[in-house]
Amino acid sequence: MKTIIRSFVVSMLLMAVTLAGGFNVKATGSQTFSFMDKMGRNQATFFSTTMLEDISGMSTDVTGNVTFDVEDIESTLEGEIIISTASLKSGIDLRDEHIKSADWLDAEQFPEITFKITDVKSLNEVKENMLTARVTGEFTCHGVTKEVYSDVTLTYLVESEMTKMKMPGDLLGVRAKFNIKLSDFGVQHMALGKKVADNIEINVNIIGSNKM
Amino acid sequence: MLTGLIIIAAALLFWLTNGAEIFTKTAVLVEKQDELFGTAYKEWENKFIPGLDITAAFAVLSIFTSSVLIYLFKNKRKESI
Repeated sequence: MKTIIRSFVVSMLLMAVTLAGGFNVKATGSQTFSFMDKMGRNQATFFSTTMLEDISGMSTDVTGNVTFDVEDIESTLEGEIIISTASLKSGIDLRDEHIKSADWLDAEQFPEITFKITDVKSLNEVKENMLTARVTGEFTCHGVTKEVYSDVTLTYLVESEMTKMKMPGDLLGVRAKFNIKLSDFGVQHMALGKKVADNIEINVNIIGSNKM
Repeated sequence: MLTGLIIIAAALLFWLTNGAEIFTKTAVLVEKQDELFGTAYKEWENKFIPGLDITAAFAVLSIFTSSVLIYLFKNKRKESI
């Protein structure tokens, strides 16, 4: 009896470990999800808080793609997310112009803000086909590239009548959160740390399809 | 003068009850629910939120108008005497 219980527990643990490494879906092997969103649903938001004021803004021009083996995400996940610098909006037109100007992010010279995945760790299954992980990547902003860590949630939805209303194919929802220091990326402005926080919180919330 | 003070007080009250923002906003981020993924996402919503900039400008304009009116009334009273 003891042997049966022990082997059951071991097999359950092995199953949990196997499932935590990937998604339990029909699709097999390497899958590429493209984040080409025509509806403007994909978004990257930023938040700055100072004594003077809180600034929140958003870009809906977020594209890119990720590729991974559905059974082994941790060692196969790779891809890049691209945010158009010129698409950043903060709710005040004049401030948006400042953000894009050469004094701040210089959208003309550096039109893209990118995040390229380099490593995945601590993959954990939250619920069926929803995984969390700590993703390391090369974040490029204002022409400077630095390594950043991001807590990421990946949600895999198999194609259904519901998902077809949004996009064709299986869908992958990606939510990522990380912080950067603008001064680390060569942004030097007298208002930095006063009107605009040096530490900026970035949240990415995007949906991709493997049939685009 | 009293009318001017009431207008300034009303403008400040309007500013305070509308978020007390430093700068005037024409759009705000509102949270929406993505039922498919069960997550929240944000959308821009056109909304006018007066900032301290526009409220201060309005207050200065009220003070100026009140001062001009007080000056004109005083002069008129002097002329009539």
